[in-house]
Amino acid sequence: MKLSVKNIAKSFEVVKALQDVSIEFHEGEVHAICGENGAGKSTLMNILTGNIQPDAGDILMDNKIVTIHNNQHARSLGINIVYQERSLTDGLSVAENIFPFPPTKSFGRINFVQLHQQTKALLQQLEILEFSPETMVVTLSPAQKTLVEIAKALATNPAILLLDEPTASLTDKETTILFSVIRTLKQRGVTVLYISHRMAEIKLIADRVSVLKDGKYQDTLLTNNCTTEDIIRLMVGRDLQQVNVANHATNEVILSIKNLYGKGFNDISFDLKKGEILGLGGLVGAGRTELAMAIFGAKKIDSGAILKNDQSIHNKHPKQAIANGIAYLPEERKTLGVFLQKSIAENIVSAQLYGKGYNAKVNNLKAGEYSKMLNIRSASVQQLMNKLSGGNQQKVVLAKWLNTQPDVLIMDEPTHGIDIGAKLEIYKILKQLTANGKSILLISSEMEELLLLSDRIVVMREGKLKGILNKIETSENEIIKLAAQ
Amino acid sequence: MIKDRIVTLSATILLLCIVMSSLYPSQFPTIENFSQIMLNLSIDTIVAVGMMLLMISGVFDLSVGSIVAFSGGLAGYLMYYHDVNFLLAIAAALSGSLLIGFINGFLITKIGINPMIQTLAMMGVVRGLALMLSGSGIQNFPYEYNYIGQVKFLGLQSPVWYMFAIVLIFSYLFKNMAFFRRYYFIGSNEKAAHLSGIEVEKMKLWAFVIVGLLAGIAGILLSSRLGAALSTSGKGLELRVITAVILGGASLAGGQGKIVGAFLGAAFMGIVGNILILSRVSGYWQEIILGIILILAVGIDQLIQKKK
Repeated sequence: MKLSVKNIAKSFEVVKALQDVSIEFHEGEVHAICGENGAGKSTLMNILTGNIQPDAGDILMDNKIVTIHNNQHARSLGINIVYQERSLTDGLSVAENIFPFPPTKSFGRINFVQLHQQTKALLQQLEILEFSPETMVVTLSPAQKTLVEIAKALATNPAILLLDEPTASLTDKETTILFSVIRTLKQRGVTVLYISHRMAEIKLIADRVSVLKDGKYQDTLLTNNCTTEDIIRLMVGRDLQQVNVANHATNEVILSIKNLYGKGFNDISFDLKKGEILGLGGLVGAGRTELAMAIFGAKKIDSGAILKNDQSIHNKHPKQAIANGIAYLPEERKTLGVFLQKSIAENIVSAQLYGKGYNAKVNNLKAGEYSKMLNIRSASVQQLMNKLSGGNQQKVVLAKWLNTQPDVLIMDEPTHGIDIGAKLEIYKILKQLTANGKSILLISSEMEELLLLSDRIVVMREGKLKGILNKIETSENEIIKLAAQ
Repeated sequence: MIKDRIVTLSATILLLCIVMSSLYPSQFPTIENFSQIMLNLSIDTIVAVGMMLLMISGVFDLSVGSIVAFSGGLAGYLMYYHDVNFLLAIAAALSGSLLIGFINGFLITKIGINPMIQTLAMMGVVRGLALMLSGSGIQNFPYEYNYIGQVKFLGLQSPVWYMFAIVLIFSYLFKNMAFFRRYYFIGSNEKAAHLSGIEVEKMKLWAFVIVGLLAGIAGILLSSRLGAALSTSGKGLELRVITAVILGGASLAGGQGKIVGAFLGAAFMGIVGNILILSRVSGYWQEIILGIILILAVGIDQLIQKKK
């Protein structure tokens, strides 16, 4: 079946998630969709699966306009999706997971014989032989679970299958298995929409690739006729040049990591200098967040040393890290960073609930100052966090940590899911902070951000340090080469 | 205004009082009736303060009713069978209650047992202990012990004054102490609280200890007021208290609620109970009506939330 979108637009309050996007997906092709975080990939997926409705534009199936009301409707039209997060129930078998509405006998009893035959036939079609319909899902590896997810999606016989970062938790070997299944599907005429960050994979599995950037359609390329660089160029564009990128790094070492081992990272050593922004690059799952949390005392360190101003420090709990002048802005803002039901003022004092008493008036005044300083747009500091945009929430988190007077700020994906305007503001604030002598360890999956802001870049892959690059001499390619081989 | 439970609940209580005063002018608005209502709700309120603290941090404790019986039982047992001085007996009963709270907190935070299961099991264990201690009931306490819960001041029996003191102290602490503020953050996002440097586990452990202690105090006051330790004391108290706290503005999700809400919730239930007695509604109806009120209160709240 041929699927296409025409002039699709969707806004969430002020953020334009998609603007005038038109793409054609051919029958039986693997079509990759690329873009940075916030480029609009998930919004497009959600529109195609009926989770959200577009503000404007049409969806066409075999040249006929369709309206997709909801997820179930999408399935009945022949569109199914395998999400990044797993939807499987561990306590049930493969067969029961694949068919949530199994064949029944009298009195609604499940017909297991038929269910298992049916499942076996499906698994054979996909050439999946590693597990049987009776296998309990809890015993499967992450890759096998992904295969079950795909089988579950295919059980509805979709003409169009959407895969959202299917390889995020897979090893190379497991990815190979997945790819052979995708090729089998292609031969059967299924159109596969493949979302991924990994350039090498896209070149390997996709026939064509469409690029989105800041909600706008850029171009569609034939993967055989383009290079990885071509795709990246379309993804990142070049409109962040207006940030002043002066280097404020001094020669004074403020934080020194020596042969640090822990769960998710091995033998990491580097120095962070006063006034420096040290980038920490790598793919998702490279161990950067684990390392950051370990430095902050939120994860265990197995061996190695952390020195601050040449003094060895041991952060067993974030409380001690805060006392040692270290701050950590976590990656998942909503689940780890903010108290959504609390006010701006309360969020700003939340890292300082030790020692002194609690005085709401003083807190409000302090919050007001930060609000002005960081240009937090809100009616008052009493406003609840869940009323703020992502960018403003992130500024509140930043204010919360500046309020602890840290020397070192560890920032994990500080501009995730934030619109471009707020992004630029945060970039400026970061540079301003380093000018005032703060040091920043910046974790980012966005190459351009890393290159723009960092004075040096540490690249990690699979828990190991692969190199420390000087900004002036490096390029996106070099980082990607180290990060992904 | 409608969103603030303290305001709506106070207004409802006031309205109820006005209506009842006009319906039963000779029975409802009297000092004796008022003092009786207050006395009846004092024990619940003291436990409700602790429950509010727990629910602000996102957990609850089902063993409080049993602790009330255990605490009175232990004090009575020591005084009656072993002639222990009443102050020592009280100290022992409070330490025991505190220890039960500590065990709850320890197993929940360090071992990771689900709070509902842990406190449900503890409810049975402690009820059994109370039964062993007080059997079919202990009476004939020393005069000093009974004095604690029976003395009157300004027309109100002492448990009412203890209740006011505890509500006021905890209200003050919750407003002005960073220690107690942390519970709001733990309840609204535990992971973010941890990454803000808050020692979540230690704080929760403390919360269970505080609740154990408050339930112990309630147990002493109840047995002293009645002049008897009964193994059935505090049966069903945990559900009444949780109802009061939810009516008073707490949420099962945590992060919300004020100490004064615990008092208002208990006061509302106390007044409704009183109304049912005055209007000669059978006692059986009381729990049915309170159950319906809880469903209504939470249901209306959900509707308001959805509209927002």
